[in-house]
Amino acid sequence: MDQNLQGARASYVALSVFVALWILAPSAVRRFNREAFVEFQAPALHLLGKSRDLATFWEKKSRSVEEMVAAGRDLARVNAALEIQVNKFEDIRRENVRLREITHYNVPAEYMSVVARVAARDSSSWWQRIVIRKGRKDGIRPGAPVVFGNTVVGRVTAVHLTTSEVDLVTSPGFRCTAYLEGDDQNHIVLVNGVASNSLGAAKARVSVIPRDYSLLAGGQPTRVFTTGMGGVFPSRLILGYLDGGTYATQVGNFKESLLVPSRDLYNLQEVSVLVPLHQNPGEALMQGEDFQ
Amino acid sequence: MGWAWLILLLATYPWLLGADLASDTLASSSLVFFITGTCLIAPCRRLKRWQAVLFAACLGFLFEARRPIPDGALALCLVAMAIFLSSNRPLMRNTPGMLRVAAIVNVGACLIWFVASSYASPAAAGDLAWHLSLQLLLAGVVGTTGLLPVALTQNAVMDRLNVPPAPDRP
Repeated sequence: MDQNLQGARASYVALSVFVALWILAPSAVRRFNREAFVEFQAPALHLLGKSRDLATFWEKKSRSVEEMVAAGRDLARVNAALEIQVNKFEDIRRENVRLREITHYNVPAEYMSVVARVAARDSSSWWQRIVIRKGRKDGIRPGAPVVFGNTVVGRVTAVHLTTSEVDLVTSPGFRCTAYLEGDDQNHIVLVNGVASNSLGAAKARVSVIPRDYSLLAGGQPTRVFTTGMGGVFPSRLILGYLDGGTYATQVGNFKESLLVPSRDLYNLQEVSVLVPLHQNPGEALMQGEDFQ
Repeated sequence: MGWAWLILLLATYPWLLGADLASDTLASSSLVFFITGTCLIAPCRRLKRWQAVLFAACLGFLFEARRPIPDGALALCLVAMAIFLSSNRPLMRNTPGMLRVAAIVNVGACLIWFVASSYASPAAAGDLAWHLSLQLLLAGVVGTTGLLPVALTQNAVMDRLNVPPAPDRP
């Protein structure tokens, strides 16, 4: 028999044996393999992100001194206004703590904010993700909410040594409870990402909207807020806006709508990861072996 | 040279990173700039079979590492492709043959990746035929147009490493 054909057959047999071993191998082996290849690529991602930062730096450096002085002056004014607001919120916080102590109300989760630069964006029909340049070394844990200002960006799904992967609000794996603006009875609705099947921007689905809920008058976009339930996201963060109208589900008991993220999630340069100071039960679940 | 496949992988990595960057700019359209299959063609012409297999496995694992797809799904399929290609080198004897094989391998690998992703995703697969067609079309175009620059880089590296030119038999 031809030596080439014999060699090919032997290779196919060896591959079949390896596939069987691979399937039977403990999941720790596969995880180690995945982690090794992620860490191999991490320096390149950091380099890429830093080159972008450098490009931005030189772009800003090329601006005139007058422009910078004007920007500095505007910033100083904004800072002064914010300082007054910070003092006001500190008073409200103290009052809030006092009232909670009196009523023995549950203390909401506290978070440590870690600012991270976006290294890469990755999306397909099956997921929408970003990779950030902070990881386990910086205290980031799986399940931590990711925000930009008061807007929810997504949730950390995988943490590596120096990088982390964040599932965006529009990613099919994302789920969260929410309130709708203008709903006085505070009905809870569900927000979950949907598989993207068009060339347009990805959206999420808002379901379990009560039948009697009506959109805001005057064609104003209806905002969707987090509830703070479940202990993952702090309450009253903006998830996005309802896209157009609502439509009845097939069963007809509830209505559904689409959610448009309030920011362009694919143009973010920097995000904040809110790492809970104390591990919550949901986070513990996410550290299971099957989660990735 | 035994380590030629590893050096070749390092030389190919900038192309993979470039494809990731291009996917980054296409992120809002949910299309991925898939080039992994194309990177397999030139090494399968010149490397020994075992080297091509290792190269293909690492190529697949590099793509899988940052994406939520079942471990080894793409890598092991690429290995099977590498075995086939390195056993049928006459298919890639000339440039038109290489271009044809590059398009087929890239589209095939892209299809495997897409199906493997659906297995790991909680989303339903309905209504994705249109998107899959677009993704495969893009993979075919990228596979064909990207072959020449990628193969040029890889051939230059293999020449420097004194890898013998493509033989008819492995």
